[in-house]
Amino acid sequence: MAIEYKKSLAVFTEFVGVEEAENLLQWLLKNPKGKINLATCEHIHAANLQVLMAIKPLVAAWPADEDLQRWLAVLEK
Amino acid sequence: MNALLEQFLSESRDFLQGIGEKLMQLESDPESIPLMTELFRFVHTLKGNSGLFDFPEMTRVLHASEDLMDAVRHGRVSYSQDLTDQLLDAMDFVGILMDEIETTGRIGNSHATNSVELTKSLRELLAAASTESEAHAATPHGISDIDHPSVDQVLEEFAAVEVDFANDTTASFGEPAFELNEVVAMALYRHATGGARVFWVEYIPEPECFFKGEDPFYLSRQVPAVLWHQSLLQKDIPSLAEMDVYSSQLVFQLLTIATQEELDDIFRYVPDQIQRIEIPALAFVVPFGSEHDDTIDDEFITRTVGFINDGNLERASHSIRTMLELSAPELWSSSLLRWAQLIIELEPDNALIQCALINQLRTHEPLDLVALTQDISSKSASVDSHLPNADLPHEHDEHEAINSEASHTDATLMASFYTVLTAQKNVLSVPASPWLAGRMKSVATTLIATYRATHQVDEIEHIEHALQQALADNTSQPLLAWIDKVLDSAPELSDIQEAAPIEMPIEQSTQEVSVATEEVILDPSSKFGRRVEDTSPHFGRRAEDTTTVVSKTLKVDQEKIDRLMNLIGEMVVAKNALPYLANRAETVFGVRDLSREIKAQYAVINRVAEEMQDTIMQVRMMPVSFIFQRFPRMVRDISRKLGKEVELVLEGESTEADKNIIEALSDPLIHIVRNSLDHGLESPEVRVAAGKNATGKLLIRATQESDRVLIEIIDDGRGINPNVIKQKAYEKGLIDESALERLSDEEAVNLVFAAGFSTADVISDLSGRGVGMDVVRSAVERINGTVGIESEVGKGTRLYLSLPLSMAVTNVMIIESNEQIFGVPMDMVVETVRVPRVQLSSIKQKQTTVLRGRIVPLLSLNELLALPQEQVPNEDDEFATLVVRVHGEHVGIVVDDFRETVDIILKPMSGILGGLGGFSGAALLGDGSVLMVLNPRELI
Amino acid sequence: MKTILVIDDAATVRMYHRHILESAGYSVDEAINGIEALEKALVKNYDLFIVDINMPKLDGYGFLRQLRSQDIEQAPAIMVSTESAKNDEILAYNAGANLYLIKPTKPDELLRYSRLLLGESI
Repeated sequence: MAIEYKKSLAVFTEFVGVEEAENLLQWLLKNPKGKINLATCEHIHAANLQVLMAIKPLVAAWPADEDLQRWLAVLEK
Repeated sequence: MNALLEQFLSESRDFLQGIGEKLMQLESDPESIPLMTELFRFVHTLKGNSGLFDFPEMTRVLHASEDLMDAVRHGRVSYSQDLTDQLLDAMDFVGILMDEIETTGRIGNSHATNSVELTKSLRELLAAASTESEAHAATPHGISDIDHPSVDQVLEEFAAVEVDFANDTTASFGEPAFELNEVVAMALYRHATGGARVFWVEYIPEPECFFKGEDPFYLSRQVPAVLWHQSLLQKDIPSLAEMDVYSSQLVFQLLTIATQEELDDIFRYVPDQIQRIEIPALAFVVPFGSEHDDTIDDEFITRTVGFINDGNLERASHSIRTMLELSAPELWSSSLLRWAQLIIELEPDNALIQCALINQLRTHEPLDLVALTQDISSKSASVDSHLPNADLPHEHDEHEAINSEASHTDATLMASFYTVLTAQKNVLSVPASPWLAGRMKSVATTLIATYRATHQVDEIEHIEHALQQALADNTSQPLLAWIDKVLDSAPELSDIQEAAPIEMPIEQSTQEVSVATEEVILDPSSKFGRRVEDTSPHFGRRAEDTTTVVSKTLKVDQEKIDRLMNLIGEMVVAKNALPYLANRAETVFGVRDLSREIKAQYAVINRVAEEMQDTIMQVRMMPVSFIFQRFPRMVRDISRKLGKEVELVLEGESTEADKNIIEALSDPLIHIVRNSLDHGLESPEVRVAAGKNATGKLLIRATQESDRVLIEIIDDGRGINPNVIKQKAYEKGLIDESALERLSDEEAVNLVFAAGFSTADVISDLSGRGVGMDVVRSAVERINGTVGIESEVGKGTRLYLSLPLSMAVTNVMIIESNEQIFGVPMDMVVETVRVPRVQLSSIKQKQTTVLRGRIVPLLSLNELLALPQEQVPNEDDEFATLVVRVHGEHVGIVVDDFRETVDIILKPMSGILGGLGGFSGAALLGDGSVLMVLNPRELI
Repeated sequence: MKTILVIDDAATVRMYHRHILESAGYSVDEAINGIEALEKALVKNYDLFIVDINMPKLDGYGFLRQLRSQDIEQAPAIMVSTESAKNDEILAYNAGANLYLIKPTKPDELLRYSRLLLGESI
């Protein structure tokens, strides 16, 4: 599992594949105040990016990977 | 399409053909250095030519081919069959692109992938074979050498720009739009002026891409040297609950200094989903910050612009720096001043932009700097309003705009001046050679010219002196010293300008440049972005400049030519009415003078009409090379498939004929060549056993014989055995027993053209698919051509086609029979004779006569047309006989009388009459009557 | 009128240069290789040469070497090449060129340098 869902926190690790997107969307819809932790995430598949961009959940921790962090800066608002 | 592009296409086709030929020659002589050199030169030149235009898909493939050939030429890659195949593929591809350019004027997006793939496989060949230098061949140069400031530094400053649901982003590509900050913008500008190409890339993945295993985000992250990027969602995203997570709505946009090759490589599987546009440096020059509350006084603006116009950049820069120290850095004006400083640093020659930018402080109007430089002169009116006016210490106010333009040009000119000077220094600095004296003289000539051009005539004397001394001592030292002295004082640009004020034929010279750009539309500097071609640079063009150079070549739709030809044809016919009219004037109305005048007018109109007809024929002429050029490749492919060795020789490729003829000839000729390869030429073993050279020879030759084109296809193969043909023809019921005896060898061989005849025992997949040479014959006859064959067993076969040069106007002889008139095409008429009744004799119930020792069968036209009347002889009891040639035989057709010959436009019969045999068509005569034209071939 | 000899094996490039130069009022002759160029230079005076490098029979370097060593013509020569190889530039100067430009040359650039080297008032 590249995304681990805790009570109100989704933790992304390493490579998050395309198959996660559907679950991610459902979880975010169910937990409107759910936060995401991207600290150890290296890449998310575009399908996940699209979900995050559509919902813009709060980011609890930004990726350590600088390039990914810059790309995900789009989630700041 | 302009003349240059047309020239490019036609020349390139020659090169492509040349490359194909050379490759095939190389196949038989793989060690030949001259061949390789020649081949390299072809590819190199072709690539160079394509560089004049913006055809990256083509240039890329050619570039890779050139590199490959270069490696072959230098022995780094050894010749192989595979290499030839690859290069032929590449050239085929280039040929396809050229076809597309010819029809649409551009290259469609669909070719990008192929282009990249082909390039890749060419490069792989290069990399695989050249073990020593693989690294340099395969990897495109990185961007590491650009260090000011480094990409990483910029990225630290990078702030992702605000992203929201984009307002107007739909699934189609938009114009490049980016919001940068000053640091990023300046970095981009630095890169762009420093020689890097900045590309705007917009990537809109197709909605189904996730199902194809693609990850567009990953792909976007692979782009190197990105200085700005953003991801967006397309506007029309459904409500969150119904969102389809597996349908992509993403848009990725980025600005990068990655090379075109790198980008194309990364996006090679989705080339249709990206848009790549090169952004010019000046597009980044946008001041940032809040615009209000900044008031910079006019005095500063006027003074600074004055410095710039005087070429005194140092003082301009100093005054800007002072102003910056006095202003708050976050102000819009401060940002603008920082830009002005950067431009002075990086583009010192670009006085126009420097002035325009600073003048913005006064106008506060955003300015399209890119458009400004692209179209300096045509916008001179608007430039006027942005440029300093009355306050400037210039004497001729009305020349303001030109002055600024002049200063821009002066700065460029000065830069060029120093470039030339530096080049001369380099010329003198390279190692001495036996021709040093000649070199020094040319340097002196160059220097003198340059000084004269810039009105510094006083210096010329010194140059001459230095040259004399240099020649006397046989050393370049005196000249070098002189140049060094000048270069040392170079920074004082303004001094030079003051000392020798450059007067202005400027206006004139820009005008001249404009003519050049007008004509050469594919101006290489307009490479930036095909999508913005309507605003592509036309430096120096003036809106009011109406001087144009008329292009020498014109490309016209064939339909228009056809229409013109029809009209001319009708005119030719219509003018034939005039003699009738003249006749009527005289005989019916009895006005002789009028009749004479009409005849005089007719003579004039007739001459003009004939010239028009002649000219339109010329327009439609086309060389046979149009068909011939495909043969080398075809012969190679087929002979290889058949395991035969064939040497193809083409002759007379420049022979011309009407476009319709050429086009109609293509298929029959291919059929014939295939036949020759398949049935005519033997396999190497058979040939050697027969004492022949293992390589067969196939000659295709075109020649013009008066008003006909003769095409011969000659092979030195096994030939055709007339006895075998006769036997086959007999078996198939094409001839009767008596013919077996009677037919000459030549006649027998020509039986291959009979309908339903095919000698091939086995139907191969190359020729003889149930259709035989009869198809060839009917195709050739359709265009009024004839076909024949000669063969000698064991020696070879000669097949010849004789075709009219043109088929627009037919010359027919009018004949009379049964009180009606008919036309017979002149090209079928061998002669007309009057045969006395006594010379008629009957053989087997058929009328014949002897003409020049030859028995000629006679047929009565009335009989052929199923009319009961007898032909009418003249007073001397002679029968008017038309001798025509039908399938190589002479046949006499007896008619009542001959009349004149006329040029007519033959219209094939249509509708119910279309099924009528024996007629090739009808035509309108000058008096309005209809002339039926006979087709003796069908009639007999 | 000043006469310029454009030497290039590519007809497209010759046409391109001819257009630019003729529209500025110069007379332009063409040669398709170094040999032809030498033949022309021997019988006619030229004021400027615009020379391609890679050509059949005799290349641009060879042409310039002959031109300068036999002192056929002292007029300036601009060498144009598709590559920006530094080495080519040195070879060009060594052979006897006076300026080295990268193809494709922009019309205004070509004209500006031509006018300079022809001593035409600018």
